[in-house]
Amino acid sequence: MGWPSENILDDIDSIILNDSEIQTRICELAQEISKDYVNKDPILVGVLTGVVPFMADLLKNLSIPMAVDFIAVSQYNADALSGAVRITKDLGMSIEDRHVLFIEDVIDTGLTMNYLLRTLQVRNPASLSICVLFDRPYRRLIDIPLKYQGFELPDEYVVGYGLDANGYYRNLPFVGTLKDEVLAHWG
Amino acid sequence: MPDDPARPRPIKHSPRTAEEIVFSHPSEQELARVLDFYGIEWQYEPVTFPLEWDENMVVTEAFAPDFYLVQEELFVELTTLRPKLMRVKKRKLARLKELYPKVNVRLWSRNDFERFLQRFGMSDKSQELVGKDAVRQ
Repeated sequence: MGWPSENILDDIDSIILNDSEIQTRICELAQEISKDYVNKDPILVGVLTGVVPFMADLLKNLSIPMAVDFIAVSQYNADALSGAVRITKDLGMSIEDRHVLFIEDVIDTGLTMNYLLRTLQVRNPASLSICVLFDRPYRRLIDIPLKYQGFELPDEYVVGYGLDANGYYRNLPFVGTLKDEVLAHWG
Repeated sequence: MPDDPARPRPIKHSPRTAEEIVFSHPSEQELARVLDFYGIEWQYEPVTFPLEWDENMVVTEAFAPDFYLVQEELFVELTTLRPKLMRVKKRKLARLKELYPKVNVRLWSRNDFERFLQRFGMSDKSQELVGKDAVRQ
Protein backbone atom coordinates (compact mmCIF):
# COMPACT_ATOMS: atom_id res chain seq x y z
CA MET A 1 0.00 0.00 0.00
CA GLY A 2 1.21 3.49 -0.82
CA TRP A 3 1.24 6.47 1.46
CA PRO A 4 -0.03 9.05 1.92
CA SER A 5 -3.55 7.69 1.46
CA GLU A 6 -5.88 9.32 -1.04
CA ASN A 7 -7.68 10.74 1.98
CA ILE A 8 -4.89 11.75 4.36
CA LEU A 9 -7.29 11.57 7.30
CA ASP A 10 -7.10 7.80 6.91
CA ASP A 11 -3.43 7.94 7.93
CA ILE A 12 -4.06 9.62 11.26
CA ASP A 13 -4.09 7.60 14.45
CA SER A 14 -5.04 10.23 17.02
CA ILE A 15 -5.48 13.97 17.30
CA ILE A 16 -3.16 15.75 19.72
CA LEU A 17 -4.44 19.31 19.16
CA ASN A 18 -7.72 19.91 17.41
CA ASP A 19 -8.59 22.75 15.09
CA SER A 20 -10.52 24.64 17.74
CA GLU A 21 -7.70 24.50 20.29
CA ILE A 22 -5.21 25.75 17.72
CA GLN A 23 -7.42 28.59 16.50
CA THR A 24 -8.20 29.71 20.04
CA ARG A 25 -4.52 29.89 20.95
CA ILE A 26 -3.68 31.74 17.73
CA CYS A 27 -6.33 34.35 18.56
CA GLU A 28 -4.73 34.81 21.97
CA LEU A 29 -1.28 35.17 20.43
CA ALA A 30 -2.62 37.68 17.89
CA GLN A 31 -4.12 39.77 20.66
CA GLU A 32 -0.82 39.80 22.55
CA ILE A 33 1.13 40.74 19.45
CA SER A 34 -1.38 43.44 18.48
CA LYS A 35 -1.02 44.95 21.94
CA ASP A 36 2.78 44.72 22.12
CA TYR A 37 3.43 46.05 18.63
CA VAL A 38 0.92 48.89 18.50
CA ASN A 39 2.47 51.92 16.76
CA LYS A 40 5.58 49.87 15.89
CA ASP A 41 4.74 48.99 12.30
CA PRO A 42 6.39 45.53 12.57
CA ILE A 43 7.45 43.14 9.85
CA LEU A 44 6.32 39.57 10.39
CA VAL A 45 8.82 37.18 8.86
CA GLY A 46 7.65 33.65 8.22
CA VAL A 47 10.19 30.86 7.95
CA LEU A 48 9.09 28.62 5.10
CA THR A 49 7.54 26.13 4.59
CA GLY A 50 5.70 24.80 7.60
CA VAL A 51 4.72 28.26 8.83
CA VAL A 52 2.20 28.86 6.05
CA PRO A 53 -1.03 27.79 7.84
CA PHE A 54 0.02 29.45 11.10
CA MET A 55 0.98 32.69 9.39
CA ALA A 56 -2.29 32.80 7.46
CA ASP A 57 -4.44 32.34 10.56
CA LEU A 58 -2.33 34.67 12.69
CA LEU A 59 -2.52 37.49 10.15
CA LYS A 60 -6.31 37.29 10.01
CA ASN A 61 -6.46 37.94 13.74
CA LEU A 62 -3.99 40.83 13.99
CA SER A 63 -5.50 44.28 14.35
CA ILE A 64 -2.38 46.40 13.79
CA PRO A 65 -0.76 47.64 10.59
CA MET A 66 2.22 45.49 9.68
CA ALA A 67 4.12 44.03 6.77
CA VAL A 68 4.67 40.38 5.91
CA ASP A 69 7.64 38.69 4.34
CA PHE A 70 9.05 35.18 4.09
CA ILE A 71 12.47 33.64 4.28
CA ALA A 72 13.72 30.11 3.59
CA VAL A 73 16.96 28.36 4.46
CA SER A 74 18.62 25.22 3.18
CA GLN A 75 18.33 22.11 5.26
CA TYR A 76 21.12 19.79 6.29
CA ASN A 77 21.54 16.90 3.93
CA ALA A 78 23.54 13.93 5.14
CA ASP A 79 24.63 13.08 1.64
CA ALA A 80 26.39 16.40 1.27
CA LEU A 81 29.86 15.89 2.68
CA SER A 82 30.39 19.55 3.39
CA GLY A 83 28.62 22.84 3.11
CA ALA A 84 26.87 25.34 5.28
CA VAL A 85 23.36 26.52 5.84
CA ARG A 86 22.35 29.36 3.56
CA ILE A 87 19.34 31.46 2.76
CA THR A 88 17.53 30.02 -0.25
CA LYS A 89 14.83 32.70 -0.35
CA ASP A 90 15.74 36.04 1.15
CA LEU A 91 13.49 38.80 2.40
CA GLY A 92 12.10 41.16 -0.18
CA MET A 93 12.26 44.21 2.06
CA SER A 94 14.80 45.90 4.27
CA ILE A 95 14.46 45.30 7.99
CA GLU A 96 16.83 48.06 9.07
CA ASP A 97 15.32 50.00 11.98
CA ARG A 98 12.17 47.90 11.75
CA HIS A 99 10.67 45.74 14.45
CA VAL A 100 10.92 42.17 13.20
CA LEU A 101 8.87 39.30 14.55
CA PHE A 102 9.89 35.86 13.31
CA ILE A 103 6.92 33.55 12.89
CA GLU A 104 7.83 29.84 13.10
CA ASP A 105 5.67 26.75 13.16
CA VAL A 106 8.03 24.71 15.31
CA ILE A 107 11.33 25.03 17.14
CA ASP A 108 13.23 21.86 17.93
CA THR A 109 17.02 21.97 18.26
CA GLY A 110 17.09 25.74 17.71
CA LEU A 111 19.80 25.40 15.04
CA THR A 112 17.84 26.97 12.19
CA MET A 113 16.47 29.84 14.25
CA ASN A 114 19.89 30.52 15.72
CA TYR A 115 21.26 30.88 12.21
CA LEU A 116 18.44 33.20 11.20
CA LEU A 117 18.85 35.36 14.28
CA ARG A 118 22.59 35.69 13.66
CA THR A 119 22.05 36.44 10.00
CA LEU A 120 19.31 39.01 10.37
CA GLN A 121 20.78 40.70 13.43
CA VAL A 122 23.54 42.17 11.28
CA ARG A 123 20.90 43.93 9.18
CA ASN A 124 20.25 46.20 12.17
CA PRO A 125 16.58 45.72 12.91
CA ALA A 126 15.09 47.83 15.69
CA SER A 127 14.17 44.59 17.42
CA LEU A 128 14.15 40.89 16.61
CA SER A 129 11.76 38.56 18.41
CA ILE A 130 10.26 35.13 17.88
CA CYS A 131 6.75 33.77 17.88
CA VAL A 132 6.51 29.99 17.63
CA LEU A 133 3.33 27.97 17.55
CA PHE A 134 4.81 24.61 18.53
CA ASP A 135 7.75 24.21 20.86
CA ARG A 136 9.69 20.98 21.15
CA PRO A 137 12.25 21.68 23.87
CA TYR A 138 13.38 18.09 24.35
CA ARG A 139 16.41 18.24 22.05
CA ARG A 140 17.21 21.93 22.27
CA LEU A 141 20.87 22.60 21.58
CA ILE A 142 20.70 26.36 21.27
CA ASP A 143 18.83 28.44 23.79
CA ILE A 144 16.35 30.52 21.80
CA PRO A 145 14.41 33.33 23.50
CA LEU A 146 10.75 32.81 22.60
CA LYS A 147 8.61 35.92 23.04
CA TYR A 148 5.39 34.15 22.09
CA GLN A 149 4.73 30.44 22.33
CA GLY A 150 1.61 28.54 21.37
CA PHE A 151 1.92 24.96 22.56
CA GLU A 152 4.55 22.59 23.84
CA LEU A 153 4.22 19.45 21.77
CA PRO A 154 4.62 15.98 23.27
CA ASP A 155 7.79 14.16 22.33
CA GLU A 156 6.12 12.19 19.58
CA TYR A 157 6.23 12.18 15.81
CA VAL A 158 3.29 14.39 14.89
CA VAL A 159 2.01 15.92 11.67
CA GLY A 160 -0.49 18.52 10.62
CA TYR A 161 -0.99 22.26 10.71
CA GLY A 162 2.33 22.84 8.98
CA LEU A 163 4.17 19.85 10.43
CA ASP A 164 5.06 17.31 7.80
CA ALA A 165 6.25 13.80 7.13
CA ASN A 166 8.37 13.89 4.04
CA GLY A 167 6.54 17.00 2.88
CA TYR A 168 3.02 15.64 3.39
CA TYR A 169 0.23 16.30 5.91
CA ARG A 170 0.99 20.01 6.39
CA ASN A 171 -2.57 20.82 5.24
CA LEU A 172 -4.30 19.02 8.10
CA PRO A 173 -6.20 21.54 10.28
CA PHE A 174 -5.11 19.72 13.44
CA VAL A 175 -1.99 18.09 14.87
CA GLY A 176 -2.04 14.33 15.15
CA THR A 177 -0.03 11.16 15.23
CA LEU A 178 0.29 8.78 12.31
CA LYS A 179 -0.84 5.19 12.35
CA ASP A 180 1.95 2.73 13.07
CA GLU A 181 2.06 1.37 9.55
CA VAL A 182 2.24 4.88 8.11
CA LEU A 183 4.86 5.94 10.62
CA ALA A 184 6.92 2.90 9.70
CA HIS A 185 6.81 4.10 6.11
CA TRP A 186 7.51 7.80 6.70
CA GLY A 187 9.31 7.72 10.03
CA MET B 1 34.11 24.28 37.78
CA PRO B 2 34.58 23.36 41.45
CA ASP B 3 37.63 24.59 43.29
CA ASP B 4 37.56 22.05 46.07
CA PRO B 5 41.08 20.93 47.06
CA ALA B 6 39.61 17.79 48.62
CA ARG B 7 38.85 16.31 45.26
CA PRO B 8 40.45 16.06 41.82
CA ARG B 9 39.72 18.87 39.42
CA PRO B 10 38.24 18.45 35.94
CA ILE B 11 40.88 17.83 33.31
CA LYS B 12 40.74 20.18 30.34
CA HIS B 13 42.17 18.69 27.18
CA SER B 14 43.92 20.63 24.47
CA PRO B 15 41.65 21.47 21.54
CA ARG B 16 42.02 19.06 18.64
CA THR B 17 41.80 19.83 14.99
CA ALA B 18 39.10 18.18 12.91
CA GLU B 19 41.73 15.84 11.47
CA GLU B 20 42.86 14.77 14.93
CA ILE B 21 39.41 13.86 16.20
CA VAL B 22 38.49 10.19 16.19
CA PHE B 23 34.79 9.84 16.90
CA SER B 24 33.85 6.77 18.85
CA HIS B 25 30.59 6.34 16.94
CA PRO B 26 29.21 7.36 13.51
CA SER B 27 26.33 9.18 15.20
CA GLU B 28 28.81 11.57 16.82
CA GLN B 29 30.37 12.30 13.46
CA GLU B 30 26.95 13.03 11.99
CA LEU B 31 26.08 15.40 14.83
CA ALA B 32 29.42 17.15 14.32
CA ARG B 33 28.57 17.62 10.64
CA VAL B 34 25.19 19.09 11.50
CA LEU B 35 26.75 21.50 13.99
CA ASP B 36 29.31 22.54 11.38
CA PHE B 37 26.54 23.03 8.83
CA TYR B 38 24.76 25.47 11.14
CA GLY B 39 27.95 27.25 12.15
CA ILE B 40 27.91 26.13 15.77
CA GLU B 41 31.30 26.17 17.46
CA TRP B 42 31.90 22.86 19.21
CA GLN B 43 34.65 20.86 20.86
CA TYR B 44 34.90 17.07 21.14
CA GLU B 45 35.41 15.64 24.62
CA PRO B 46 37.26 18.76 25.85
CA VAL B 47 36.88 18.01 29.55
CA THR B 48 37.06 14.90 31.68
CA PHE B 49 35.17 15.18 34.95
CA PRO B 50 36.39 12.98 37.83
CA LEU B 51 33.43 11.22 39.40
CA GLU B 52 35.05 8.90 41.93
CA TRP B 53 38.53 8.74 43.42
CA ASP B 54 40.39 6.88 46.13
CA GLU B 55 42.08 8.14 49.29
CA ASN B 56 45.18 9.06 47.28
CA MET B 57 43.09 11.24 44.96
CA VAL B 58 43.58 8.79 42.15
CA VAL B 59 40.56 9.00 39.88
CA THR B 60 38.72 5.69 39.67
CA GLU B 61 35.78 6.83 37.57
CA ALA B 62 35.45 9.76 35.21
CA PHE B 63 33.15 11.07 32.54
CA ALA B 64 33.93 13.04 29.38
CA PRO B 65 30.79 14.31 27.64
CA ASP B 66 31.04 13.99 23.87
CA PHE B 67 30.46 17.58 22.78
CA TYR B 68 30.82 21.05 24.20
CA LEU B 69 28.92 23.83 22.44
CA VAL B 70 31.11 26.82 23.14
CA GLN B 71 28.66 29.70 22.80
CA GLU B 72 25.94 27.84 24.65
CA GLU B 73 28.30 26.57 27.37
CA LEU B 74 26.48 23.28 26.96
CA PHE B 75 27.87 19.76 27.13
CA VAL B 76 26.03 17.16 25.05
CA GLU B 77 26.38 13.46 25.68
CA LEU B 78 25.14 11.41 22.77
CA THR B 79 24.42 7.78 23.33
CA THR B 80 22.97 5.15 21.08
CA LEU B 81 22.71 2.57 23.84
CA ARG B 82 19.39 0.80 24.06
CA PRO B 83 17.26 2.13 26.94
CA LYS B 84 17.83 -0.90 29.15
CA LEU B 85 21.58 -0.36 28.92
CA MET B 86 21.39 3.29 29.91
CA ARG B 87 21.55 2.73 33.65
CA VAL B 88 25.30 3.22 34.01
CA LYS B 89 25.29 6.28 31.77
CA LYS B 90 22.46 7.90 33.69
CA ARG B 91 24.16 7.17 36.99
CA LYS B 92 27.32 8.87 35.75
CA LEU B 93 25.37 11.89 34.59
CA ALA B 94 23.55 12.13 37.91
CA ARG B 95 26.90 11.99 39.72
CA LEU B 96 28.32 14.64 37.41
CA LYS B 97 25.41 16.98 38.12
CA GLU B 98 25.78 16.32 41.82
CA LEU B 99 29.49 17.17 41.84
CA TYR B 100 29.39 19.96 39.27
CA PRO B 101 25.96 21.59 39.56
CA LYS B 102 26.97 24.58 37.45
CA VAL B 103 27.92 22.40 34.49
CA ASN B 104 25.17 22.38 31.89
CA VAL B 105 24.96 18.93 30.33
CA ARG B 106 22.29 17.39 28.15
CA LEU B 107 21.87 13.71 27.38
CA TRP B 108 20.72 12.75 23.94
CA SER B 109 19.39 9.21 24.03
CA ARG B 110 19.09 6.75 21.17
CA ASN B 111 15.47 7.87 20.79
CA ASP B 112 16.53 11.53 20.71
CA PHE B 113 19.02 10.86 17.96
CA GLU B 114 16.49 8.88 15.94
CA ARG B 115 14.03 11.78 16.21
CA PHE B 116 16.82 14.11 15.23
CA LEU B 117 17.43 12.05 12.10
CA GLN B 118 13.71 12.11 11.34
CA ARG B 119 13.75 15.88 11.68
CA PHE B 120 16.35 16.12 8.94
CA GLY B 121 14.70 13.49 6.75
CA MET B 122 17.45 10.97 7.47
CA SER B 123 15.42 8.13 8.94
CA ASP B 124 16.88 5.83 6.34
CA LYS B 125 20.27 6.43 7.92
CA SER B 126 19.06 5.39 11.34
CA GLN B 127 20.31 1.80 11.15
CA GLU B 128 23.64 2.92 9.80
CA LEU B 129 24.14 5.63 12.41
CA VAL B 130 22.35 4.30 15.46
CA GLY B 131 22.51 0.55 15.06
CA LYS B 132 26.21 0.18 15.69
CA ASP B 133 27.86 -0.17 19.06
CA ALA B 134 30.26 2.54 20.04
CA VAL B 135 33.99 1.95 20.18
CA ARG B 136 33.73 2.91 23.83
CA GLN B 137 30.83 3.93 26.05
